[in-house]
Amino acid sequence: MQETTWTRRSFVQAAALAGAAAAIGVSMPNSFVETDPAYADEPVETKVVKTSCHGCIQMCPARAYIENGVVVKLEGDPDAPVSRGSLCLKGLNQLHTMYSPRRVLHPLKRAGQRGENKWEVISWDEALDLAAEQITSTIDKYGPYSFFASVGGGGSYSFMEAMTLPMAFGSPTVFEPGCAQCYLPRYAMAKYMYGGNDQSIADNAVQEIFKVEDNKADTVVLWGAQPSVSQTAESGRGMAELRAKGVKTIVVDPNFSPDAQKADVWLPVRPGTDTGLLLCWFRYIFENKLYNEQFTKFWTNLPFLIDPDTKLPVKAEELFDDFVSPTPANTPAYVCLDASTGEPKPFVFSLPEDAEVDPEIFATVEIDGKQYKSAGQIYKEEADPWTLERTAENCWLQADKIEEAIKLYTSASVAGIANGVASDMTESASQVPLGCMGLDAIMGYVDIPGCTMTQYGTGVVANPVSRPVTYHNGFDGMFSDMYGCGAVVGLSDEENAERIASFDPAVQEQFGGLLLDRLGMKDHKGLYTWCHSHIPTVREAIATGEPFKPRVWFDMSGNKLAMLGNAKSWYEVFPEIDFIIGQYPMLTSFHVEAADLVFPVREWLEEPMVNMTQLNTQWLQNECVHIGETVSHSIPAAQVIERCKEKWGGTMPGLVPGYIGSATEAEVKASVAATLQAPGWDELVANTDKYVPYVIPPEDYWHYKQYETIVDDGLPAGFGTESRKFEVYCTLLLKMARTGYPFCYPFEQEACEDYSPICTYIEPAESPLDDDEYPFVLTSGRVPYFHHGTMRHAAFARELFPTAEIRINTRTAAELGIEHMDWVKVSSRRGEVHARAYLTEGVAPRTVWMERFWNPECYDESQPNKTAGWRECNVNVLTKNDAPFNEVFGSYTNRGFTVKIEKSEKPSNVWVEPHEFEPFMPTLQGEPQTKDVF
Amino acid sequence: MKRCLVIDLDRCSGCDSCVVACKHENGIDLGNYWNRVVAVGPTGTFSDIEQYWLPVQCQQCENPQCVHVCPTGASYRDEKTGIVLVDKDKCIGCQYCMMACPYGVRVLNEKTKVVEKCTLCSHLTADGSGVPACVHNCCCGARYYGDLDDPESDASKAVAAALAKDSESVHHLPDPGDSHPATVYILSKKTAEWKGLV
Repeated sequence: MQETTWTRRSFVQAAALAGAAAAIGVSMPNSFVETDPAYADEPVETKVVKTSCHGCIQMCPARAYIENGVVVKLEGDPDAPVSRGSLCLKGLNQLHTMYSPRRVLHPLKRAGQRGENKWEVISWDEALDLAAEQITSTIDKYGPYSFFASVGGGGSYSFMEAMTLPMAFGSPTVFEPGCAQCYLPRYAMAKYMYGGNDQSIADNAVQEIFKVEDNKADTVVLWGAQPSVSQTAESGRGMAELRAKGVKTIVVDPNFSPDAQKADVWLPVRPGTDTGLLLCWFRYIFENKLYNEQFTKFWTNLPFLIDPDTKLPVKAEELFDDFVSPTPANTPAYVCLDASTGEPKPFVFSLPEDAEVDPEIFATVEIDGKQYKSAGQIYKEEADPWTLERTAENCWLQADKIEEAIKLYTSASVAGIANGVASDMTESASQVPLGCMGLDAIMGYVDIPGCTMTQYGTGVVANPVSRPVTYHNGFDGMFSDMYGCGAVVGLSDEENAERIASFDPAVQEQFGGLLLDRLGMKDHKGLYTWCHSHIPTVREAIATGEPFKPRVWFDMSGNKLAMLGNAKSWYEVFPEIDFIIGQYPMLTSFHVEAADLVFPVREWLEEPMVNMTQLNTQWLQNECVHIGETVSHSIPAAQVIERCKEKWGGTMPGLVPGYIGSATEAEVKASVAATLQAPGWDELVANTDKYVPYVIPPEDYWHYKQYETIVDDGLPAGFGTESRKFEVYCTLLLKMARTGYPFCYPFEQEACEDYSPICTYIEPAESPLDDDEYPFVLTSGRVPYFHHGTMRHAAFARELFPTAEIRINTRTAAELGIEHMDWVKVSSRRGEVHARAYLTEGVAPRTVWMERFWNPECYDESQPNKTAGWRECNVNVLTKNDAPFNEVFGSYTNRGFTVKIEKSEKPSNVWVEPHEFEPFMPTLQGEPQTKDVF
Repeated sequence: MKRCLVIDLDRCSGCDSCVVACKHENGIDLGNYWNRVVAVGPTGTFSDIEQYWLPVQCQQCENPQCVHVCPTGASYRDEKTGIVLVDKDKCIGCQYCMMACPYGVRVLNEKTKVVEKCTLCSHLTADGSGVPACVHNCCCGARYYGDLDDPESDASKAVAAALAKDSESVHHLPDPGDSHPATVYILSKKTAEWKGLV
């Protein structure tokens, strides 16, 4: 059947392609082209290539249509189990960014002053030499601590590379604007509390609820997450499928997000006050005995009696002189109040049916004149003030809605909280995950079909055969095993001592020194989890030189000035930094204002990689095309290291192996092929369908109730914590604050104030309750058009969402004399920016909501008065990067601070009309295909 | 045959991916759109509010006003497929059709001076095998394409399933000019009240 639509734009191009297209069974896009007889005669080679998008962290499987070496069309791969053929506009717009006139295709050396945006194209050889000369001479003069690295948050390519690059140079300093402000707190708290996967949807930790077959999810709580906006095609699609199946949803979000619009209950909490709402849920659940009693009694540590002096659970040996534990030394017995005898008794680890006690969850007992409370009792007392009414008043909610949400959550056959990024960007960064995971734990929503916290895959956490343990330095404790620092939680003290003694003391000393000297670690030891420094402390060190001065900076990501809190405070210290190296596919405000040298890196259509996985499937990010002298993300640093090593006569000042990242495309490709179980890259790309996706059989992937599995010591596995229980009362936080345990072991970091082991209420430091000068509380979140700092140079994104908008309540705006789409000035105690007012009843009268923004058009050639585009509309000019920080992770305040708003004018360099974005339209499709540089 | 889109607003999250998929697929200029997504709401007063997203493109009317007013016969409804199209060889760019269309979904291509509109990606779908780019890439699985006269089409099945669940959940845009828009929207009261707006 052939039914065509004849128009003045004809099918000439399609006709010319007919042979090729028919051979692969596809139709070609953009077929409506102007009739051009000459063009019709050109031979066209066409192919469709399996790849994965990298428009955000989730990396949906996609298909690229390539015509004579140019990608002409992208679409979602219908075989992907969660995204099911969806591809969002961030992915689709790679067609623009890949061929953007803003692409950096060759190494660039700054030619004018910083800020002038003048560059000289240099060779890779010159670029590497320049970088190596700067690094080696600075380190020779000032020592290894003068070097530092940074990277962007999730979705950025160079996470591991940035973490390990300073190690290679013997420096402890690395940071990224995400980390403590994005994901680290939730990831780390899960490891501390139970050694398992956290509750983040975006970061692919939560998978269970998106299962295609046999999905048992009943109720999902999106707490500070908007998957339909942030990860539109994968978990956004997953949420759409869940709702269509009748799964109930509760959304906690100050903004009426698309997920909130479709929720069964929406709780628009006042920004930054989530801890109050969490404590309210605890109170209601405790009060009405809605918790899962058996799980709470036997699989959490809430029944344990806590020593009021140490705040730690009392071990049975401490209270009962003649007690001999029947369990191994790595599985201590604690003490509970036994309901059957009314006496405090040793609480020996066992299956519930084998327990000799009936532990009270809530207990206060006096032993030898000292009062002990159970951890459950302590939690209950903390939650006690948080009645529905008080919470409603404090958090700007309705009591009946809170109650409706709690009932929906507790009456579900199975539910789970998906905890989003919001709380990471507040002082409550550790308290909110404590609360969210604590709630799921007391409900027993752990490791069962349909909840959010499950352990899957083929690793030991999902398939325990012996007592679970948790490593804590780097991902899966990799640095602990490489360099011999860090206790393994779940081993006994003797086992840890024995293990640590097996490492080379010299290496251990060197790594330990970096741990102890890392900036900001005394106060915020949770950052050790990802080996990152505390950002405000790094800035302070650059400014003051205390305790040492970072001088040479290697950044591996995008626009630091759009992503770092209080951007102006960073701009002010750039002159203190001697040399700044960047790598990115385009020049951002940061590169314009700061960089001295920029390495060209590949866009995702060019870079071989393996995707994040969708359920039990893993997909290829393919090398579809390659233009210019761009390289994969790990290569510049690896090559610079080689060059430095040459200059230093074959040695490096840092740790060995140090840097983890491939030095050549061949290495990158080999590693991708190996991950996908292909014998080599050539075979992988020649027979992609054979290897992609790599599928783990469902029966080997999905696992449940591991904690009950009897392991090799004859006991149930339990969890990878010191008590082998799910530590709703997180004891590790206390030990961590006091010595840096487990990270620094066998060394000790200086003590700081204790971290709270349970969720406690934190009123934001800048609060709309008592701020007359800045009366509104600002929070933020994503819009579907951009991921982090990306895509502001994609014309089809910008014409739809041309510039920053601030969502203001309609009635509030009327009081301020502001109309829909008026330009306003938004000011905080840090600075001021501009945005268009989007009037809506979707935010509370005193809440405003604004996505971060920056404007690459501000330094377009056509602008008479160029700026670097980060001061105009950038919410991070407003954000707060000073104390109080989150105690555990040092997170500063990107959300939930106060601002004022007044009518204003559009900044002159900002584009808003569609035609203005013409200079962003792609121009590089004619670039020749190039070979690998390294 | 009555080929058109069926759009499930209980699923749509307003992400605009359909808009961008269309623009890349059909090479549409900056500032022009063959489809748009309209935010209907939030209506009500915080926090007792509701909202839905309304993707709007050619409604594939059975009695299209754009065709009636076209002086050259460039605008026509393909009798075989039911798709409303523009023969650009005949279009003189007078834009009467743009004024007549009740839904504002036609645009003038400033370069070629002819009127353009959604073709349901005829270049992909003409042989009956493909689906429009907006349907393929939709991030909510909210868009269905097919022949509403064929009960086995994706479009018909989506409508039947919606009707079976909730007989009041199936809507068309308002029809002031007796145009008989074929495009179907699914919206249940649980998400929001159908406002009948464009």
